[in-house]
Amino acid sequence: MSAKTDLALRKELAPLQGTPLLEMCSVRIGHALFGIPITHVLEIVGGVCPQAVPLAPEFVGGLMHYRGDVLTTVSLRHLLALPYREGRHDILVLESAGGCFGLLVDSVGEVLTVSTADYEPNPSILDERRRALFAGAYKLKEGLLIMLDSERLDPMRLAASAV
Amino acid sequence: MDELTREFLIESQEGLDRMERCLTDLEERPRDADLLGEIFRSVHTIKGTTGFLGFTRLEKLAHAGENLLGLLRDGKLSANRSIITGLLQLMDALRGILRIIETHNHEGGSGDRSEDGGAVADKDAQLISLLHELQHTEAAPAQVHAAVNNAAAARPVAQMFDAAGASALEPATDLASPRTGTSAASDSTLRVDVMLLNRMMNLVGELVLTRNQILQATSLDPSLAILTRRLDMVTADLRESVMRARMQPVANVFSKFPRMIRDLSQLLQRKVRLVMEGQETELDKSLLEAIKDPLTHAVRNSLDHGIEPPETRIAAGKDPEGTLRLRAYQESSYVIIEVSDDGAGICVEKVRRKAIERGLIATERAAVLGERELLQLIFLPGFSTAEAVTSVSGRGVGMDVVKTNVEKIGGKVEIDSRPGKGTTLRLRIPLTLAIIPALIVRSLKQSFALPQGSLSELVHIPSERAATAIEWMDGTPLYRLRGQLLPLIFLDRMLSPLVRPSSVAAKSKAEGAVAGEGFIAVLDADGRRFGLVVDGLADPEEIVVKPLSGVLKSIGLYSGATVLGSGDLALILDPGSIASRAGVTMRTQEEQVKSAQGEREDEHETDMIGSRYLLVEIAGRRAAVPLRDVLRIERISFSRIEYVGYRPVLNSEGQLLPVEDSGGVLAAAGGDPSAQVVVVVCREGNRQVGIAVSHVFDVAAGSELFEAGSQHRASGVTLLNDSVTGVVDLDSVAPLPLGSGGEVEPSEWAAETMA
Repeated sequence: MSAKTDLALRKELAPLQGTPLLEMCSVRIGHALFGIPITHVLEIVGGVCPQAVPLAPEFVGGLMHYRGDVLTTVSLRHLLALPYREGRHDILVLESAGGCFGLLVDSVGEVLTVSTADYEPNPSILDERRRALFAGAYKLKEGLLIMLDSERLDPMRLAASAV
Repeated sequence: MDELTREFLIESQEGLDRMERCLTDLEERPRDADLLGEIFRSVHTIKGTTGFLGFTRLEKLAHAGENLLGLLRDGKLSANRSIITGLLQLMDALRGILRIIETHNHEGGSGDRSEDGGAVADKDAQLISLLHELQHTEAAPAQVHAAVNNAAAARPVAQMFDAAGASALEPATDLASPRTGTSAASDSTLRVDVMLLNRMMNLVGELVLTRNQILQATSLDPSLAILTRRLDMVTADLRESVMRARMQPVANVFSKFPRMIRDLSQLLQRKVRLVMEGQETELDKSLLEAIKDPLTHAVRNSLDHGIEPPETRIAAGKDPEGTLRLRAYQESSYVIIEVSDDGAGICVEKVRRKAIERGLIATERAAVLGERELLQLIFLPGFSTAEAVTSVSGRGVGMDVVKTNVEKIGGKVEIDSRPGKGTTLRLRIPLTLAIIPALIVRSLKQSFALPQGSLSELVHIPSERAATAIEWMDGTPLYRLRGQLLPLIFLDRMLSPLVRPSSVAAKSKAEGAVAGEGFIAVLDADGRRFGLVVDGLADPEEIVVKPLSGVLKSIGLYSGATVLGSGDLALILDPGSIASRAGVTMRTQEEQVKSAQGEREDEHETDMIGSRYLLVEIAGRRAAVPLRDVLRIERISFSRIEYVGYRPVLNSEGQLLPVEDSGGVLAAAGGDPSAQVVVVVCREGNRQVGIAVSHVFDVAAGSELFEAGSQHRASGVTLLNDSVTGVVDLDSVAPLPLGSGGEVEPSEWAAETMA
């Protein structure tokens, strides 16, 4: 709970600072570390068991109940071609131009402050699928923070690009 | 667009709506001062505000109309047909301009110098001069001195405007007194954004869910029972209030019919009297929008094909003036809208001929069809082409469109017609779309919701019969339902595309795989009938429909999702899409006819299900309940039965149903809260009652019994499956003692039952 209020506070402060520092919500899938700008994140919901939707596109992780709405979730594991993981998940509720959706991840980590100076766009050797998915990376001391953004993860967009 | 203009648009629209209503009434009561005052006020308000906002085109038109109306209101002119037509034209023109302002934020016409603008200005000028002419030519019968008339005519137009403008001021003052009454009414109402209402509805849906979860979580803790009860009641009340906030009277749709009928009857040379009843009946706003078109269609049909020209009517010995009746009323959770006329009715012979001609039905089949089945033929899509209409004296124009539109919102269309007497079209519209009753089914270890509207019956297949009950026609599963083959769709197989009986091996495997208990939900979707095989059933629930995201909508099988009382999510199945996906097509005409015959039991019975009964056992005795009154059958645990005094009641979705227990079924189960009892919930007039029964057997057709040696119908008994069976008299179930004065607080009697 305190993490959430902390997050909300930072969200408010972020535009005031006016420095080239950005705040990223870090999430973990397997061993890789991913980041999403906290301005895209509406809420973090933990321990959710999404309801499967038969016949849905494979990247759909199921449905979740969120504040009176039924949200479609996107399984980041599936997008990265990782095996399906049973049980409860953490979900980031993201907002994109097409509306809200949930992003199913293994676990949500802390909020990291990164400097724009450390940013690198997608390298050219990245395959096409991942190039469409990732938005570059930040070089951190402990490794790379691969950037995701809500527009690229929007289910409608994923459905359109899926073969 | 600024706030002021928006306000002005809404207000003016309402004013014009009022004016429209009054104008058609004015035709009957041309000297009614109240009506004239009302019309004058609408136009005057528009004129006043437009001048302020700078809409000169509107102002000019409104001004010209006001002059004419001023004379009418002061009794210097009396309204006749051409004046009313002129005023209606004025109203249309004003509406048109308002629409332009709404979309373009300027009124068009005079401002721009384009050709278009010129044409518009010409049209305006024409209308204004028409309104001027009307002021003079019709003045004579209204006892105005010819001299005044001439003088007025001779005066240049500019002066006329001045004179009328001055007279326009004084009515405003004498209108002040009646206004105080109306302003009080407007003070007590408030304009609310529909978006906000939708949001509220959403939140109330949330609350209902939370309540359901709390009810489940606290059911074992008696100390919380009273509190949760209260929460239950408050939530139910709140939900109803918010739903009511979305309701609008059907008058909003009905109000445009007087004008339409006036125009159409002039065009078609008919004399028509319009009678409207139950205009205060309320319906959800979105549904009201949805029935506008079907209803217009139905009314137009009645005028075009129902009511005959006056000469024909006189020849048939009828009043030359036909009557078109629009009636709205509420019946349990439906609003019924009837469009009936006393016209020629539908000649079933012509329908029969036409259907054969168009290849909709085989000749030999047509020969054996009864009236009721023939009437249903007019809802077939092929029946609605223009040629069919003109050569058939009954209805026919796009009746399939009416039917599909109404069914799209979960409603039903019924038709009833007597040759020479008239036709009645009945639209059954659900009260709201946001919350629908649904049956929760289980398949693939998860829950799905099936809208009750398309569910016609449920068939239970016990595990010992599972292997034989379903028959296979080379890989296609079928079930014999009362002697007819019903195509089956296995929900689990449809939803897991990996199992496809394509090869021979897979097919035999698929055919053999049916094992264990199952249920067949017999569904009726857009005229396609099929059975959906599911693994299990849960209780029916009132579900709050939540929209799905675009990605999931495009799967096509789900119409939405909902959160169940247990907190689980369930997808709402769309029976129509399931049928299409599985390739269930519209039944061939022959099949349709066959099934219609199967359902038809009595040639003379006008109401098809009127003679069908639900056969039940009440404490060892067989009894029959008229099927048309049966709403649902509930199997509940005895603990859900509560008592008001000695009367057993069932609290179903916030409604209290008195439960009739003449056979002592409840008494026999008494004391054991885990015992299961079956309650048949029936409709009796405007209320619902439950009947406690031991078993439900079947649906059977009853035959009327006649007393030996007389033609008196024996009441209260019927012949079911060749044995005389008593019919349960729903009328005799006494109402609950919950009068407005002595209302029993539910929490109190809940406490009583616990003690």
